[in-house]
Amino acid sequence: MRLIYFLAPRLLIAAITMFGVALLVFLSLRLIPGGYADIVLGPFATGAARDLLIQRYGLDEPIFVQFGKWLWALLQGDFGNSMVTNKPVIDEFLRRAPVTGELAILTLLLALAIGLPLGVWSGLAEGGAGGKGRLGRLVGALGASVPDFVIGSAFIFIFSKWSLGLKVGGFVPLDQGLWDNLKTMILPTVSLSVFAIALFLRTTRDAVLRVMTDGHILAAVARGQRPRDIVRHHVLRNAAIPVVTVTATYFGFLLGGAVIAEVLFSIPGVGYYIFSSLEERDYAVVQAGVLLAAFVFVSLNMVADFAYALIDPRIGAARSGT
Amino acid sequence: MIALASARLGRFFRRDSLGLLGAVLLLVLLILGIFGDLLPLGDPNAIGAGPRLGAPSLAFPLGTDDLGRSYLPRVVEGIGVTFLLSAIAVIITAVIGTLLGMAAGYLHGATDHLIARIADILFAFPALLFGLLAAAVIGPGSIAAIVVISTATIPLFIRVVRSVTLSVAEREFVVAAVVSGASTWRVMLVHLLPNILGAAIIQLTYALSVSMIIESALSFLGLGVQPPAASLGSLLRLGSVYLTIAPWLVLAPGLVLAAAIMSINLLGDAIRDALDPLRGRSLK
Repeated sequence: MRLIYFLAPRLLIAAITMFGVALLVFLSLRLIPGGYADIVLGPFATGAARDLLIQRYGLDEPIFVQFGKWLWALLQGDFGNSMVTNKPVIDEFLRRAPVTGELAILTLLLALAIGLPLGVWSGLAEGGAGGKGRLGRLVGALGASVPDFVIGSAFIFIFSKWSLGLKVGGFVPLDQGLWDNLKTMILPTVSLSVFAIALFLRTTRDAVLRVMTDGHILAAVARGQRPRDIVRHHVLRNAAIPVVTVTATYFGFLLGGAVIAEVLFSIPGVGYYIFSSLEERDYAVVQAGVLLAAFVFVSLNMVADFAYALIDPRIGAARSGT
Repeated sequence: MIALASARLGRFFRRDSLGLLGAVLLLVLLILGIFGDLLPLGDPNAIGAGPRLGAPSLAFPLGTDDLGRSYLPRVVEGIGVTFLLSAIAVIITAVIGTLLGMAAGYLHGATDHLIARIADILFAFPALLFGLLAAAVIGPGSIAAIVVISTATIPLFIRVVRSVTLSVAEREFVVAAVVSGASTWRVMLVHLLPNILGAAIIQLTYALSVSMIIESALSFLGLGVQPPAASLGSLLRLGSVYLTIAPWLVLAPGLVLAAAIMSINLLGDAIRDALDPLRGRSLK
């Protein structure tokens, strides 16, 4: 019951954030010099085409009336129609979402499986200093320094010369065989994971280092508890919160479409869709894509908030948890 | 004074070899980027100076691109452009982020809430998708790239500065200044600012490394700097077209970009470890 005191303000904040995002996206496309009609139609539009567009989107109405109507439609799940196919954009996104979702989940699993243990190990090793700690720092800095498109390009070069059992491009959907699908997903997953591994390594290492300075760890050592038990009961649980935060944030980022990995490896997910829509000047898709990605991101942060309350009983118990 | 500072710097780097590596690497790349066009490397824009897509040779150490331009001066130019764009964006981020973060942490109440919500909203925008939107609205180019990078790096900057400000604002000397009648501006600029600079500098290095990733990613997608200007990202974009026949076009800017970002990360980690009193303990 007390959880409500913790979650209600966060729900409100999430709602305000989403409203702000919607307002910003709307204004950025409608309030620029030249107006919406000019960006959509380009410089060589006929007067008739302009009139049609103005009528269709109600561009002659006051801006706040336009925003109100647009927002009302949004709340009912209407993200507008594609300017190219004239079909509801939301259907196109939902159709592509599973592909992006798979890529995001694979990347997150791989990155957590490697980054978490490395981070804990490097953070515990001699208080983060010395050889092991320094190795952790070097690996963390190195991984965070090679952008996914550099690794991806290297992969494409290597694997298109020597196939090595994997495929570059030529995406195979999941329902046409798990292994065939994985063969096309491994390379983009690994190129995205390098940065993510470094991110989790650094976050976990930092969190562990910080917890190790807490008084209760010293108390546990003084009580004579075994190091293994101290790590399991006192260090990991307390180090979990920043790691959960970063996991949620990064998962949200991945679900918003890893544009570069999808474009590079021709994975037909939402990131690829938004990018190719920009080239077709289909701004309805770009606009809806940014909105949806931000909404997913905010929702995942809500989930993370909920997870904090589960991990740390103090958070749910204290009313002034903010 | 200078002797003291250099002695301190020497001790800092002797204790931290990775930090030294980062600093040297960064210095070399910065000098190349800034003074690159003064070096006798050849003209980056001379079309047909060599064969098209020529392999690295004595005359063209990094090969030539699709228009027969020598690749070495182009990569060096790319370093400069990438550093310049990222630096401009990060300076904007640092100024806005420090001001808003200090205001949020010191003024409390409505100001704090307003700034926190602005940070939340900006944080919810995925950088690259926002880049696509910005390219649609203001057209692809350097300005769009700077807007996108600043927008992506400001929220974290605000949060870090805000949390440091909260703890500094409770210290005695700040309370003493307020009691003796210092104006809000004076408290913020004279008493708070010097004490949050350390945290701001650490955050600045991380923002710079993120900026370089975003800048090159935008240019890689063709949304950043436009030809004939070249950043490391736009060189990679061109190189990826000829990946299988001229892999050196990707290799050189790719390695340089990774080295540049890594130098900043290593230096940032070293500064943080030196400034952060919260060091870990060993269980032994």
